[in-house]
Amino acid sequence: MRKLLNRYDLSPVLTLAAGLALLAWVGDNPFNQDLFALAATYSLLALGMYIPFVLAGSLSMAYTAYLAFGGYAVALVATRTDWPMVAGYFIGAAASAVLAVVLGFATRRLSSFFLVAVTLLFAIAFEGWLTSTPEFSGGAAGIGGVPRMELFGVEMTRELFIPVLLVLVWGIGVLVDRLRKGVFGMVLRASRDVPVAVEASGVAVPTLRLVALGTGAAVASLGGSVFVTFNQAINPETFILHVVFLALFMPLLGGQSTAWGAILGALIVVQFTFNLGSVGDSGTLLFTIAVLVVLLIAPRGILGYLGILWRRLVPLESEKERTHGA
Amino acid sequence: MSPQLFLSIIEVGCFFSLLALSFLLVLDGAAVFNFAIGPYAMAAGLATSWLVTRLGYPVLAAALAGLAIAVVLAAVTDVAVIRPIEARLGGAELPALVAVAATLFLIEQAAGTIFGRGDFPGQPLLGFEPIALGSAAMSAPQVTLLVATVAVFALVAWWLRASRTGRMLRAVGDNKHAAQLLGLPVSRIRGIAFILSGLIAGLAGLLFAHKSGVSFTSGLQWTLWGFLALVIGGTGSVWAPLIGGMLLAAVQILSPYYFGSAAADYAILLVALLFFALRPSGLITRKVRT
Repeated sequence: MRKLLNRYDLSPVLTLAAGLALLAWVGDNPFNQDLFALAATYSLLALGMYIPFVLAGSLSMAYTAYLAFGGYAVALVATRTDWPMVAGYFIGAAASAVLAVVLGFATRRLSSFFLVAVTLLFAIAFEGWLTSTPEFSGGAAGIGGVPRMELFGVEMTRELFIPVLLVLVWGIGVLVDRLRKGVFGMVLRASRDVPVAVEASGVAVPTLRLVALGTGAAVASLGGSVFVTFNQAINPETFILHVVFLALFMPLLGGQSTAWGAILGALIVVQFTFNLGSVGDSGTLLFTIAVLVVLLIAPRGILGYLGILWRRLVPLESEKERTHGA
Repeated sequence: MSPQLFLSIIEVGCFFSLLALSFLLVLDGAAVFNFAIGPYAMAAGLATSWLVTRLGYPVLAAALAGLAIAVVLAAVTDVAVIRPIEARLGGAELPALVAVAATLFLIEQAAGTIFGRGDFPGQPLLGFEPIALGSAAMSAPQVTLLVATVAVFALVAWWLRASRTGRMLRAVGDNKHAAQLLGLPVSRIRGIAFILSGLIAGLAGLLFAHKSGVSFTSGLQWTLWGFLALVIGGTGSVWAPLIGGMLLAAVQILSPYYFGSAAADYAILLVALLFFALRPSGLITRKVRT
């Protein structure tokens, strides 16, 4: 049994089970459905943040713009063209990736503070641009009346789209976690910790970081796309600037050691900022304090400590030998 | 260009310069770009307005309280956030960045929770008749901000050059390890740099709030402006932030004047991209003869 537990990575099975339980909780309650859709959006955002930030150590803060890219691409494709709505997903992801690479390129040899500054300035300028171009983006009112998406000839009602969201988020979660463990992920993590060594092995670290930034932006933009598909509307206020700080905190709180930590963090954010009626406005404050505490005294995050607990219960063979030998 | 526009540039430029100077002091003392500086300024401005409008405090007392809040926030950021992170992770850059970003957001949210999430008008510190300058006129808050900026820059320049602590701060900024080896009290100097930076940021927020009001979300934008002014000016001299601030203010005031209301944000983004990509060390860098 112990061998079995150690040989296979059980996280996809466990998380799918957790997802299905969540699905059962959502049921046909419209409020729960809204929460679930928001959680799916934030999860994709957090996964998109996870790749460059946690794996590559590159912090971009233009994520609200990436979400808006994904959202507006879907809304514009659905209301202005005859193309299938899915095209908007790809357009938004591609545009976000290009933008992330351009902003990353301009600051590729500088300290991370510069990338943070330029991406935040972009997000602010982009929000202003959305408001000031009514003929293109619908201005402050945004774009409403986005039709329901059709997938394989089936119209995606709210009820039908919820399981699709689960599969999408879970699938991308599995992919990102595989990415982390694969060769590319190992090189990324090495480039974060010892860039000189990676550079000396013939890998161009700045280019590697740009790839991570682009991939992350594309994943996050999917979050914007699914949000608009579900809610059928978007405006410049849909993804306000402070969401990016929440996105930065999600992997920290959930745990950086696996991509599932980012998703757990996203769920906690939704719970703190939208679902806890009693704490109201101070939910975000409580959440931020929690993050700062995690950052200062518990840097592994929730899943990190659960992982340690798990290893206590089911030690690796090598560790067991070591303890027995000693 | 109308003289009134010119005065606007001076006014906004003073604000940017003070923020950039605040950045520079922490950068010298602790080698960190403290992104929580905008929120210090916001907290000082917001607390002052809140104390005056909601609790009926006299302006000067409220302003002192606002400054005290900014100073305390700066000191706490250093002692409770940045130092523990550095002690644990040995000065790695990303954790420090994340920690100051979290602090920025925390101050913002705390201010929103305590003082409310609305816009507050700034409080004029001194009330006197506008001073006529040809066809333009400088209002009392503009004069106060200008005089305060000149005084702060002169004092800091004198302090860095003439006082013992100021000279030690320059030594720490040049080479922390060498300073440590020489037995300089690096930790104390760093604390002083943070406190001074909080004081200057608080003063900036307090004196600028009358221009466009202050709300709990102002801090982020102020941080970015101050950082950008510092990057444009460079870190080579204590006067560099003043030049960077004035140039950035010219861009911010003139671009909407010529290209429409949304242009300021685009122009600032463009300036940031240009400077980051082509001249990240700024206009004024320290030349060392070798």
